[in-house]
Amino acid sequence: MGGFSFDLCKRNEMLVQKGLKQPSFLKTGTTIVGLIFRDGVILGADTRATEGPIVADKNCEKIHYMAPNIYCCGAGTAADTEAVTDMVSSQLKLHRYHTGRESKVVTALTHLKSHLFSYQGHVQAALVLGGVDMTGPHLHTIYPHGSTDTLPFATMGSGSLAAMSVFESKYREGMSRDEGIKLVAEAISSGIFNDLGSGSNVDICVITKGKREYLRNYLLPNPRMYISEKGYSFSKKTEVLFTKITPLREVVEVIEVGDAMEE
Amino acid sequence: MGDSQYSFSLTTFSPSGKLVQIEHALTAVGSGQTSLGIKAANGVVIATEKKLPSILVDETSVQKIQTLTPNIGVVYSGMGPDSRVLVRKSRKQAEQYYRLYKEPIPVTQLVRETATVMQEFTQSGGVRPFGVSLLVAGFDDKGPQLYQVDPSGSYFSWKASAMGKNVSNAKTFLEKRYTDDMELDDAVHTAILTLKEGFEGQISSKNIEIGVIGSNKIFKVLTPSEIEDYLQEVE
Repeated sequence: MGGFSFDLCKRNEMLVQKGLKQPSFLKTGTTIVGLIFRDGVILGADTRATEGPIVADKNCEKIHYMAPNIYCCGAGTAADTEAVTDMVSSQLKLHRYHTGRESKVVTALTHLKSHLFSYQGHVQAALVLGGVDMTGPHLHTIYPHGSTDTLPFATMGSGSLAAMSVFESKYREGMSRDEGIKLVAEAISSGIFNDLGSGSNVDICVITKGKREYLRNYLLPNPRMYISEKGYSFSKKTEVLFTKITPLREVVEVIEVGDAMEE
Repeated sequence: MGDSQYSFSLTTFSPSGKLVQIEHALTAVGSGQTSLGIKAANGVVIATEKKLPSILVDETSVQKIQTLTPNIGVVYSGMGPDSRVLVRKSRKQAEQYYRLYKEPIPVTQLVRETATVMQEFTQSGGVRPFGVSLLVAGFDDKGPQLYQVDPSGSYFSWKASAMGKNVSNAKTFLEKRYTDDMELDDAVHTAILTLKEGFEGQISSKNIEIGVIGSNKIFKVLTPSEIEDYLQEVE
């Protein structure tokens, strides 16, 4: 089997040169964050998926399941983040059967980075991977080309600068669960309100030793405020205001000049 | 025996219409340690002898009953290494099915795919059939199920079955004892008694293995202390 087939790439390039507009793909504009607190890891994400200037999904899920003790936030092309996290989650499951042990975060990290590296950045997935295993809590960022960082707090996506400014000013080591959740919610909200590519709601996932809590839609700071109470009603008849008839074909008068043709 | 001329090549039929290599594989299974399975009204139990070659072997490191998916388990009779290969392939197939259809694989599907693998090894060049028969126990939305898969790739659904050394005695015993409305706990007791029938030496929680799946649809291999509890109830 092996590998992505790049056969159609030349044909796509040729079509673009000929003037065809390439269809855009669904991106998760996104603000995703993670931080390590006293008892484990907290991951956070917004819920807006964009297709160019259009909001394609107002409440998508960006925090993906990898293992019972490991979750991964994804930014970049939505299909890429979904597919790559699904695939590595499958492989981790098989690995757990074979070894009889809980999955380690570094295992997920290595699988993801080697996959992304082998596709040389064409799989556009930027991930924040966090979890708690037998060696303790871990938090990593993974870039589309396959490089990784290990950090106490991390942000990715178009809203990462807004979120990072919150973390840089307020992060402390050894925060409690409630402090950590509050800070993550603040960072994501900062991305939601200051970045166009991020919006809607805040999702949070808290992972500690032996337990994880997926707090879907933890905050809903963008509810639909104005909804007409009366509802909308349209009358069945359309009222005729004005009638004008324009014939499509001109009525032409033919005036015979001269004699008919003589052979 | 006229057949012996045709017993060297797997992919050649003998004049009597048999594939002699598969017959030999079944003989290998028949000389393996006894294993059995019983389908109860609300679950399935599978069990096997765990006779180790020497008292020096660390019995906690040996596990013959394996989990394929959270709701399907398997036990074998015959060659252990062959069963490991099949277990690995089956787990991968179950995972691939889940990735494609986003639903847990039904028991019949997994059995069919495993049987297909075993059949492929009876019709390919340069390979030999697997020297194991498998008993697959599972619980899905069609209820509790027990399947036996043979080296030829044929599979059968059973209410109760046994394989290995003591198969005929065990099956006679099961035929007498089996009832359709058996509860899971009764089935475990019956399984232990069946194993005891042909057991050489003293049966204990260290030389048998039992796997159960109940209405919670989670396959579990019993710990030695849990087996000890059941053994005491049976005595």
